[in-house]
Amino acid sequence: MKNNIIILGGGQAGIYAAREIRQNDSKSNIKILGEENLLPYERPPLSKDFLLDKKKAEDLYFHSSDVLKNENIEFENISINKVDFENKKLFAKNDNVYSYDSLLISTGSENKKLTLDNNLKNDIYYLRNLEEAKKIKEIVSNKNKITIIGGGFIGLEIASSLSQLQKKVVVIEIGNQLMGRIIPKQIADLVQNTHIEHGNEIILNKQIEKISKKNDDYEILLNDNSLIETDFIIAGIGSTPTVKLFENTNLKLDNGIVTNQFCETSIKDVYAAGDVSNFYHPFYERNMRLESYQHAQNHGICAGKNIAGVKTEYSSIPWMWSDQFNLNLQLTGICDEYDEIIERGNDINNGVIYFFLKNNKIRGACGVGVIGKVGRDIRITSKLTEKDAIVDKQILSDQNLKLNKLIQK
Amino acid sequence: MSEENWIEVGSTDSIEEEDLIRFDHQDKTFCVYKLTDGFYATDGICTHEAVHLEDGLVMDDEIECPMHQGIFNIKSGEALSPPACEDLKTYPVKVDNDKIFIKID
Repeated sequence: MKNNIIILGGGQAGIYAAREIRQNDSKSNIKILGEENLLPYERPPLSKDFLLDKKKAEDLYFHSSDVLKNENIEFENISINKVDFENKKLFAKNDNVYSYDSLLISTGSENKKLTLDNNLKNDIYYLRNLEEAKKIKEIVSNKNKITIIGGGFIGLEIASSLSQLQKKVVVIEIGNQLMGRIIPKQIADLVQNTHIEHGNEIILNKQIEKISKKNDDYEILLNDNSLIETDFIIAGIGSTPTVKLFENTNLKLDNGIVTNQFCETSIKDVYAAGDVSNFYHPFYERNMRLESYQHAQNHGICAGKNIAGVKTEYSSIPWMWSDQFNLNLQLTGICDEYDEIIERGNDINNGVIYFFLKNNKIRGACGVGVIGKVGRDIRITSKLTEKDAIVDKQILSDQNLKLNKLIQK
Repeated sequence: MSEENWIEVGSTDSIEEEDLIRFDHQDKTFCVYKLTDGFYATDGICTHEAVHLEDGLVMDDEIECPMHQGIFNIKSGEALSPPACEDLKTYPVKVDNDKIFIKID
């Protein structure tokens, strides 16, 4: 049967879903509606290799327009402002109407914005898309002292890149550790040391009281009355799922679009994948919303299969990374449900990993090390987690013993 | 095949099964693998970002990059899983008197 399949959102989940649908369904019309006038591209390099000029914009696309053409996947740059789920129609700002048989929502997430009581809204920069990355790159070339508000992944990656561009960087974080939302303190502290060693200033436990403009520069007043002078401000204070379009509809929302393990939403023939989806994870037996590269890709693929009629459960063990200076940080599984922590290694040059166990089984792990030093063990840990096996703690804790042994058992 | 391009890597017992060693020759770097059915060689650097695959996971004829989990087939070099999309170059390998040689072009 030939269906009209619409994918709302032109990011990673959307493109991977589109290609997966085509793999399983040669007939249906597949159309991606994207708000950015760009084919789907990789976002991780924006805060790193793009700022450092190691990668150009044209290096970031997942696929060329030829790939989409060959697979008969349409891409349209359009902004949708109304959804009628009952009649299966999307309405665009320019009055175009799109009818669908199946809809995938992959609208992603958007940056939280600082609430400021003065007129400095346009003076604070955020980084999510290529346009914003281009602006930041251009402006920082003429700036020296840069303040980053928010010590999460994005803020710290930008801090690392700008430090490598010889900028004086200050990071202000409201919490008592960096990356506090998902990264264990032990690992965050190692990353913090590396930033400090490279000359970045890290300020924890401080709130911003006021930002004032002084000529072309800024003064940031903190809640301990200290004052930071800076000539450029970037904020990375978290993100929220992009669901505004659905707020007055029947679509069930709760920290994103609520989906089951098959990427199905509360409305028939409507699916959601990627950052926007708060999905049920059958392995962890709970709902979660993830913002990561691997998840956007695999969740998109899973949604694509289900839309094409190949019923597939999504049970990938979460995995994410961050690259800062010469460090590669990786996280697998979840690290907030545990009754025991096991440490492997204590030297960042050889990699340090913390395993989080519950009932003698690994639920997650987080590691950091000089690039290349934790990836293999974290990958094996994902497999061990998935197996739900009781693990030999001696092997986990001794870096001289290879983790491969556990998986071969 | 000219003999002079075969470069000695080391002895066959220098690699455990389902594992690899790094081998540097002049300004190039390689990975040499021992799989269940023999020895194989590829370029050492991931085609996605410039990280060495020596710390990657070898499993089921595949090498997985330790940085971003790009996966390549060791025998064909084919990029199997994003973020890797460019294939990895492979090299012929032979074993002679318990020594491994790779043919570098």
